[in-house]
Amino acid sequence: MKLAVISCIHGNSAALDAVLSDIDHHHAEQIYCLGDLVGYGPDPNAVVETIRALAIPTCQGCWDEDIVVGLDACECSYPSLLAERRGKLAHAWTSQAISPETREFLAQLPLSLRLDNLCFVHGSPNSQHEYLLPEMDESIALERVMTAGAEVLFCGHTHIPYVRTFEDSHVPVHRIINAGSVGEPRHGRPNATYVLYETETQQVTLREVEYDYQATCAAILAKGLPPIFAWRLARGLEFAERADDPTHICDR
Amino acid sequence: MSVSQPTVIAIAGAAGVGKTTWVRQQLSQATGDRFYFCPGVGNVPIDLTQIMSEFPTIQVLTEQQEVYQLSAQATVYIELGFHLDLASASGFLDAVAAKRVAVLPLGAEKSDWHDWADQVVEGATIANWVEPSHLQRAVLTGQVFDPASLNLFWFELTEAAYGQICRAKGIFDLVDGRAVCFDFVSGLSGSTYTELNLHRWLDGRPERFSGIEVVGQAADQAAIAQTLADCDLSDAAIAHYQAQLKQSLGTEEAG
Repeated sequence: MKLAVISCIHGNSAALDAVLSDIDHHHAEQIYCLGDLVGYGPDPNAVVETIRALAIPTCQGCWDEDIVVGLDACECSYPSLLAERRGKLAHAWTSQAISPETREFLAQLPLSLRLDNLCFVHGSPNSQHEYLLPEMDESIALERVMTAGAEVLFCGHTHIPYVRTFEDSHVPVHRIINAGSVGEPRHGRPNATYVLYETETQQVTLREVEYDYQATCAAILAKGLPPIFAWRLARGLEFAERADDPTHICDR
Repeated sequence: MSVSQPTVIAIAGAAGVGKTTWVRQQLSQATGDRFYFCPGVGNVPIDLTQIMSEFPTIQVLTEQQEVYQLSAQATVYIELGFHLDLASASGFLDAVAAKRVAVLPLGAEKSDWHDWADQVVEGATIANWVEPSHLQRAVLTGQVFDPASLNLFWFELTEAAYGQICRAKGIFDLVDGRAVCFDFVSGLSGSTYTELNLHRWLDGRPERFSGIEVVGQAADQAAIAQTLADCDLSDAAIAHYQAQLKQSLGTEEAG
């Protein structure tokens, strides 16, 4: 079966629509979503409505949780004072923009999803807020996969897609597959990213999809979000947050 | 020039071409009494602060009249900002028999600086130089930054997030008590980052100069000011970090 795994849409409906079209084109049979449907972007309700309308299995991201229960960040959420102030501004805007139905939907999302030997989480099996960076200590990273009781752990949260294979450690081979970000890329280009996965062959394809990011930038400005969010989106720089410390263990 | 007059060297040139760098080179080689004068600097003395930290024994002049009172053993470097009118300074420079040095990019087109100068010195070669249309200067004294926020701001500033920038230079106080100088010129590769030779300020908000100067085209001054304000740590955070640092430094010294 061919799966499509998407993550970190962040209220960017133009990017989500483009990725869904690309998934259609590649005939994926099932889509999984790793959360962060809202936050920073201008269309949180539209994104949630699309996910609900297509009945895409979705786990809860850090932003989805924060919008429901309030901010309670570990230091990894905000690597600088400036990022923190921008994040809180985006949180306040999103919190007033989302509908009761959207809030209710985000509140009931599960922390993880399973399909046979595959596990789907937002950050890590420990927390939606923990970053599994590609440089993370190998034993700790493998422990996260084992904790999930899976052979393949799909995650997002870092906004940069990658595949990490633990070749020498165990048979069968364990892997972490990061789906990148649909709506808030951080790989230096504005294009959306997601992952295609063949369950029979274990083949992974990292997809990068062009879309009309200028439309999202215009919506950011029109809706009164900080102009710097549009500038960063257009450059694939992520809006405010950075996760750069692979040794950090989230303690939220 | 009469024998009783000091040696006076006036330096001019475009923003970012290397006027202060040239003065620093001269100061490092000069002997005798050395003086520095930067007219029109107002309340944002970035170059002056940088030079004073590097050359603690240099004497700073604040009024051009002071030049007349110096002895023949003195050497005075007068740095003229790019925004100053060269003609308006000519009378004074003639009166003190100043040697006029223009720091200009290699192969620079004929300009007023060429006509003005006794000597042209090769400065930085700046690719894709855009003629600036505005100058923004701000005093940041008392503001304290965490390095991550400052780096984020500086990256955005120099990558044109707030409008096209030709030149940016700033002195910032960091939460660990150090003062740093960030320097950017459009067309040169990257920024330079220098720690100033000043004591670590670990007792509340620093009571010494820090500030920024941005030269550009249609830069969003309000956004720059707001972002800098957003980077400013709270009194509580500063007190917390400073207490930790004092304890850490005290432990190191004891060890």
